[in-house]
Amino acid sequence: MHPLLVSRARLGTYLLGWVPIALLLAGIARSQGWNWLEATSLALPLCLLGALLFLGTWYLCRAMPLQNTADELATQAAAWGTAALLMGGLWAGLAWLLARMLTWLPGLGALPQRVKLALPVITGLGILLYLASVALSYLMLAQARALEAERKGAELQLLAQESELKALRAQLNPHFLFNSLNSLSALTAVDPVRAREMCVLLSEFLRRSLGLGERRLVALREELDLARAYLAIEQIRFGTRLRLDLKVEPATEPALLPTLLLQPLVENAIKHGIAALPDGGTLVLTSELVEGHVILRVENPRDPDAPTPQGLGLGLRQVRQRLLGRFGSRARFEATSLEEVHRVTLVFPLETEP
Amino acid sequence: MRALIIDDEDLARAVVRQHLEPHPDVTVAAECANGFEALKAAAQHQPDLIFLDIQMPKLDGFEVLELLEAEGKRPAVIFVTAYDQHALRAFEAHAVDYLLKPFSKERFDAALAKARLLVAAQPAAPPPPAAELAAAARQGRPLERVVVKDGPKVTVIHLDRLDWVQAQDDYILLRTEGRNILKQQTLASLETQLDPARFIRIHRSYILNLDRLVRVEQDTKEHRDAVLRDGARLPVSRAGYQRLRELWEDA
Repeated sequence: MHPLLVSRARLGTYLLGWVPIALLLAGIARSQGWNWLEATSLALPLCLLGALLFLGTWYLCRAMPLQNTADELATQAAAWGTAALLMGGLWAGLAWLLARMLTWLPGLGALPQRVKLALPVITGLGILLYLASVALSYLMLAQARALEAERKGAELQLLAQESELKALRAQLNPHFLFNSLNSLSALTAVDPVRAREMCVLLSEFLRRSLGLGERRLVALREELDLARAYLAIEQIRFGTRLRLDLKVEPATEPALLPTLLLQPLVENAIKHGIAALPDGGTLVLTSELVEGHVILRVENPRDPDAPTPQGLGLGLRQVRQRLLGRFGSRARFEATSLEEVHRVTLVFPLETEP
Repeated sequence: MRALIIDDEDLARAVVRQHLEPHPDVTVAAECANGFEALKAAAQHQPDLIFLDIQMPKLDGFEVLELLEAEGKRPAVIFVTAYDQHALRAFEAHAVDYLLKPFSKERFDAALAKARLLVAAQPAAPPPPAAELAAAARQGRPLERVVVKDGPKVTVIHLDRLDWVQAQDDYILLRTEGRNILKQQTLASLETQLDPARFIRIHRSYILNLDRLVRVEQDTKEHRDAVLRDGARLPVSRAGYQRLRELWEDA
């Protein structure tokens, strides 16, 4: 669709743009000794015709996008020059036809004679106006492309964010889920009360994590609730192998942070720490407030025989990226792997819901 | 029939035990919470059948099986795991059974029935080596560690601590942290499981951890040496040198 034809306002603005051109044309005619009646009765309809005629340029421009190389540009310029000559001639021809038709009106009998003399000027003006309409069309096309690109960019960014969150939700790892269900399967026979407890915990964990995935920012309190539900399930699975030491300063609970930032840390601590040790160990989770910053730390024992991890795994890289993406240089991410302890620390400014 | 239940989670072992209750011909000789216990129990009880989890601390299920194999033991195996089902589908081709956690009574009984047949009659084809199963389950991902059993002692060598490997007839000599460890395996079979970007066959008899390489020196026209970080020198064959150069050119 032609951008000038999508709304009346735009078409009106375009046609208004032709008024000064009509005035210019009339002025030129006056200076050549035409009277006012002759000048305006030719200039106004001629410009209206021109306005409509040159609208078509946009379609040609869209069909022939501007080229990049000098050679191609030169060919294109030649094509446009030829087109401009033809259109200038066509416009002058229209002026002459118009003049012939207007002789029917009283007082305009001399018009064809006057137009005949002015044909070179009208042709020249037509050429210039046509070239201007070419430039205008390309300008509009470029602007439309820029807008489109911007819209697409925004859309892509949105998609990326969504898929990122989706991926995080999918990280609710199936291994955990199936092992939990297996524990549940065992409990149904030996301890139905605990089995029911496990069902409730599992539902709570799933409900919370599904709910969190919809949002970009959450209060630390909610992340902690999710982690507690998760750890309660893992405690049933691992029994005495998993010991917990949670120290949360209440002042840090309303702190806002990107969704599902804590969960991967806790899952890693179990998967690479506790689960890899025959006798398990203690998972330490602390959250404290120091000078307006939340210091969130997850610490777990690790198998000293396992190689020290080189660099961060995908999960931790994502956590760091999302933390820094939100808080920039005001946040800090630290992962340390000592001989027997693995520790991840997140430091970020305390920001709460207004 | 004597069985072992090997799983690091109490409740997971309990499920198997519960499902075994209606089968009085199967006695649970021992329950093991990790691979080391499993090896000890296997030596003590000579089980006909093992229920084996895959992801366990220290030694995984495949490594347990490999170490049993090294002692000439090969009980019937039912893998019991929450491991990726796509990875395990490869097992079907090898007639090795697996139960995906959680599983039904029917599925359990079917697996047990298959195992009974296997124990009663000698199978037509020998079961596939554990290393082969492990490789199938890894689905193309390279090996991360090597396990060796020397008498009662089990050594786990993480590959970033492995300097090089030398072929010695049917054995391989693994060089790690200043020690030499022998394992019954061929160099070629190990080579196929290693990450080709980290370990290079520099010679008919040597695989080198690239991380240990400092430079290659040309002694004579036909003879090159790899100089390692600790100053050791290993021979580099012409084909080995070619492989190194290809790797450098790609990098």
